[in-house]
Amino acid sequence: MAYSELIKNFNKIREYMRQFYVYGFRSRSEFDFKSARSYDNEHRRLQSWLGEYMRFRHEEDGKVVFMSIDGRNLPCNPLYKAFKTKSFTDNDITFHFFVLDLLAKEQEYSASNITSLISSEYLSYFDNSGYCDESTIRKKLKEYVRTGILKERKQGKELLYSRNESNLNPDSWSDAVSFFSEYSPLGVIGSYISDCTGKSDSPFRFKHRYIFQALDSQILYMLITAINESRDIRPKVKTKRIDLIGNNSVHPLKIYISTQNGRQYLLCYHIELNRLLFIRLDNIIDLTIADVNENRETYLKECELLKKHLWGVSAKEPDHLEKIEMTIHIEEHEEFVFNRLMKEKRCGSVIRKDPHTCVFTAEVYDAMELVPWIRTYIGRIEDFYCSNPEVTNCLNRDIEKLDELYGGVCDAV
Amino acid sequence: MLFNEVYSCYYNTVSKIIEVSINGKLDNKTMNAIIRDIAFAESGIDIPQALKSRRWPFLNNDLSTVIRHKPDRPLTLLEKRWLKSLLSDPRIKLFEIKQEGLEDVAPLYTEDTFVRFDVYTDGDPYDDPKYIENFRTVLSAMRNKRLLRISYTDNNGRTHNHDCAVDNIEYSLKNDKFRAIGACKHGTIIINLSTIDHCALLDADTTSCGYSMVRKKKELIAQLEDKNNALERAMICFSYLEKETIQTDDTHYIFKLKYFEEDEAEILIQVLSFGTYFKVVAPQEFIEKIKSRILKQKKLRTRF
Repeated sequence: MAYSELIKNFNKIREYMRQFYVYGFRSRSEFDFKSARSYDNEHRRLQSWLGEYMRFRHEEDGKVVFMSIDGRNLPCNPLYKAFKTKSFTDNDITFHFFVLDLLAKEQEYSASNITSLISSEYLSYFDNSGYCDESTIRKKLKEYVRTGILKERKQGKELLYSRNESNLNPDSWSDAVSFFSEYSPLGVIGSYISDCTGKSDSPFRFKHRYIFQALDSQILYMLITAINESRDIRPKVKTKRIDLIGNNSVHPLKIYISTQNGRQYLLCYHIELNRLLFIRLDNIIDLTIADVNENRETYLKECELLKKHLWGVSAKEPDHLEKIEMTIHIEEHEEFVFNRLMKEKRCGSVIRKDPHTCVFTAEVYDAMELVPWIRTYIGRIEDFYCSNPEVTNCLNRDIEKLDELYGGVCDAV
Repeated sequence: MLFNEVYSCYYNTVSKIIEVSINGKLDNKTMNAIIRDIAFAESGIDIPQALKSRRWPFLNNDLSTVIRHKPDRPLTLLEKRWLKSLLSDPRIKLFEIKQEGLEDVAPLYTEDTFVRFDVYTDGDPYDDPKYIENFRTVLSAMRNKRLLRISYTDNNGRTHNHDCAVDNIEYSLKNDKFRAIGACKHGTIIINLSTIDHCALLDADTTSCGYSMVRKKKELIAQLEDKNNALERAMICFSYLEKETIQTDDTHYIFKLKYFEEDEAEILIQVLSFGTYFKVVAPQEFIEKIKSRILKQKKLRTRF
């Protein structure tokens, strides 16, 4: 098939984009995709769509291509461009502009009128511009009614079509759309709206923006659809999780989002295993929406109970809790350390023992999840206890090895 | 459907080309400029070819168009449903939107579907009328390119007054806070919107004030050992920064990250979270900060 910069299916390019953007150090031979030709085609597409963000360097194994994007300085997510690349037929685009033009100024026509008007009002200007087939027009009209661009009204035996205008004031939404298209789930839809209304000058910038989340938008959209309809799903997941999920159904409940690393997780109920579990959205290759499940409310009640002792996204043994107690030393003029603990404590609690000491405690399903966070208090940890000795050993090892790593820090006397 | 040709870049480009043609201003140069501006690098071949060959029969030989009205389209149901969903977000109160037109539309999702489980709990007060008013004033200053007189209180309880030109409003997902970033006569100024006591537009515009913003970037270089998925975690954790990764052997990588100077404390915290798998090798001042933390810990306790 001849190369085109447009694509039929987004999934095809999703993984390539992730690799180029997130990993950015692999050479052509290290990409384990279908073929070298696939790599070349996808690379060429990305170069066309996002060329200004692509960089490369030469290494022994070959040329390494990577994306370098300073997400903070950009008003809008450049990866949204990839969602604006759906391929289409000549009939699709012709229909789009002719029909919307015909139906401007509140006009209303039947399918057969539209077909004859397209021929007489537009195609007649050109020689050999193709034939306008009424059955194709009908199908497209139905499709546009489903998308909400057109509406239909029955008059006698005929269906009349018109533009589905609303009295929405796009100007009043402009700044909100600029903001929420970068903050909200499925923000790419906000980008579509901005394109449609012609507003593109955003006053907002974003810190801790994880633009690669956009790559999972299709999956997220399907999950939201299933959640809204209380339906089970059958996810197809990457190999490392397949032994857990297999071909089984799960019931999607919530989407957990990390604001600190951008990862998105599906919290779902595994029907056969009879338990809640988390699946990373970027591990879901595809999914099928299945039947309605009447037990949603029961599963949601379990979710609420789970939240009380959930630090992040690990509930490895829901019947077993691990206790953590961390005493933090606060020096003069370091009130910000206490403030930090208070805002970061999540399901834990913080008690101020005296002006220089506070104690963080928590009972969680998986204390190992706290280790990265605990490390950020190195330099202030006066005392530490965890009922899971592996966590305490990990902290001890970290402190010892950090000291070695940075050359054995000594007291400067 | 989320991935649909009606949202396509090509449709948007052709729409603009037709609009310019209706206004009588289309020539080949303008067409190419529109394509470069809206579409992709290789579209400069495909789109003109399709229009001129009449595969897409919209333009005559003289580039006039058979389309009679400026091309636009109604919002799709998906777009309206997404807008409806925004109405349940507390931040929507910051914007003066007119809600008409969405009455018959169900939201695409509800707020409780999403759990931002690690967001900090001292986010900005989106229900506070004073905060909302200040936000709108700052936004208005930006939009209208007017200078802003701001009075705010810092962490030490001291009040500051500045006339400033706001360049942008930055939102932090992790902190759930907005801040105004701009320039005053002393240079760059960064103010958390929640600390603003009062702000007002001045008559003077920002183009002639002479204030300039300079934000210095620093580069951090680190060696990473890929154990316990450290590579993937680091790539994702720092993905919001301009970075470069170089593989040195099967399990070791060099990381180069660029960050704003004022974010150094935060980057230090993120680096510490990786423990021993992420060793900073430059800049030296950053290494000294890590060493200072290790020394403080040694004075407190090294073994639990």
